[in-house]
Amino acid sequence: MKAPSAPSAPSVPDAVRIPARRPRSRRARVTLAWKAVAVAALLLFTLFPTYWMISSAFDGRATGGAQSLFPAEPTLENFSYVLSEAGFGTFLRNSAIVAVSTVVLSGILALFAAVAVARFRFRFRTGILMLILIIQMVPLEALVIPLFIQVRDLQLLNSFLGLIIVYVAFSLPFAIWMLRGFVAAVPVELEEAAYIDGASWGRMFWSVLLPLVAPGLVATSVFAFIIAWNEFIFALTFMDSPATYTVAVGLQQFFGENSNEWGYVMAGSTLITLPVMIFFILVQRRLSGGLVSGAVKG
Amino acid sequence: MATARPWLLLAPALAVLAVLLLWPLARVVLISFQDYGLREIVSGRSNYIGLANYAEVFADPALWTVVLPNTVGFAVAAVGGTVILGTLVALLLASLDRLWRTIVSSAVMVAWAMPAVTGTYVWIWIFDADRGIVSQFLQGTGLLDEPHNWFTDRWSFYAVVLVNIIHHGFPFVAITVLAGLLGVSKEMLEAATVDGAGAVRRFFSITFPTLRPVFAVVVILSTIWDFKVFAQIYLQPGGSGSNRSVFNLGVWSYVESFAQNRYGFGSAIAVLLTVLLLAISVVYVRTLFKEEK
Repeated sequence: MKAPSAPSAPSVPDAVRIPARRPRSRRARVTLAWKAVAVAALLLFTLFPTYWMISSAFDGRATGGAQSLFPAEPTLENFSYVLSEAGFGTFLRNSAIVAVSTVVLSGILALFAAVAVARFRFRFRTGILMLILIIQMVPLEALVIPLFIQVRDLQLLNSFLGLIIVYVAFSLPFAIWMLRGFVAAVPVELEEAAYIDGASWGRMFWSVLLPLVAPGLVATSVFAFIIAWNEFIFALTFMDSPATYTVAVGLQQFFGENSNEWGYVMAGSTLITLPVMIFFILVQRRLSGGLVSGAVKG
Repeated sequence: MATARPWLLLAPALAVLAVLLLWPLARVVLISFQDYGLREIVSGRSNYIGLANYAEVFADPALWTVVLPNTVGFAVAAVGGTVILGTLVALLLASLDRLWRTIVSSAVMVAWAMPAVTGTYVWIWIFDADRGIVSQFLQGTGLLDEPHNWFTDRWSFYAVVLVNIIHHGFPFVAITVLAGLLGVSKEMLEAATVDGAGAVRRFFSITFPTLRPVFAVVVILSTIWDFKVFAQIYLQPGGSGSNRSVFNLGVWSYVESFAQNRYGFGSAIAVLLTVLLLAISVVYVRTLFKEEK
């Protein structure tokens, strides 16, 4: 770097200041220009796919042929087609049922387990924490064969329940890990104060602990919702009738039959993406904070 | 009572994990030792054949020439790409003022929030041979004479997957590294500047060592994710079995099982993938617990 060498200037203060400042501000301007270029390139790279998806979804000619950067014929026709003719209304409803059930069940189970590992010292506690960490690393794709056989034996193929129990199991390790951090952050003094006031453990749980970890519960719920909403391989394997398709399989099947109807495919994709995106951006800050404090600090 | 309570609280979660994760994990190993096809699925009978499936997997030239190179090579490229881009974005974000940091990090969130399945279809659309914007742009500028199908060749197929995965994966790295960057001692950086250290020197002498644990987490998690990429490959044209030159371990296992009904053989591949990932995970956990001390 060519750092300005001010000391070589004459000893008159005014004369020093002016030449010394000019190269510095020029360098600052160059840095600023580079930063602006980097920001612009980054915004283009991150936002373009989403923009392109939405833009094609509103474009009446995306399906037909040549398209420009902006919808050539703005229309809602693609959306009304996929919702009414292609069954996306059913897929969205199915995914909502599966995802909400997953959220409720995994939220309850994870909260109990998180309280146990964050608030109690007991034998095998470290062992269980290790188990939860390790189990998170098991590639779920590797379990698709045994789980398919298991769910088939239970006659739960093509049923929401089969998918829900599997998704609960998938979201649990991470949810426990996250909630553990939120529970640990609640000062023990508050619990002790409740006991001194004569509260039982159950009362303390409902009136003190639960309200205080509610924000964490919201964050993990959204996380579980997104897992269940986005999941593909198990939904693909378990569901083989259009009446029970979730959004991911529904889109895949629709694409299989209409590969060149890009306006429709992008309209379907937009419908699937928007709820997730809104949820995600709402809770992300809290989620990544928890991820870092939960993961890095162990 | 006090000793029983944590176990009562843990029981439901542990039961679910045992039945739906641990038992299937044991079962996939058991199935991998069997000739397990449709007949066995229907009858529920076992049919042990020892290590024959593993012998077949390791004897298959496709494992060495196609599947492992695809899996490992792709993971290396994707982890490198995501971590480098994510770190650069984190450094950029750290240097921006409040308003621009909010704007840029929100845009980064948008990329992160895109579901894998819809994101993959958007990239397929962008790289579509006939009407995709990349093809049209290249033809418009004369770089390409006729429509080019990016999905038939193994390299360009994976190039599209790489762009997709980096786009989806770098936000996690950027946000996590940014959180770490904000914790780097300002005094040390200033002292280094006074001593005449340049930006690159400051990064490798102060910032990087401080962020070591963060980088360890980010690299290992990305490695795990990029090893087992499935939807992004399976959904691309040819990825679901018709083009065997683009198989990775996960897709190979799935296609052998559910398209060929060779569940035993597919399980052996799945076990191989799991063992590879668990080895990486052990490194991950040891890093975490070492940092905790």
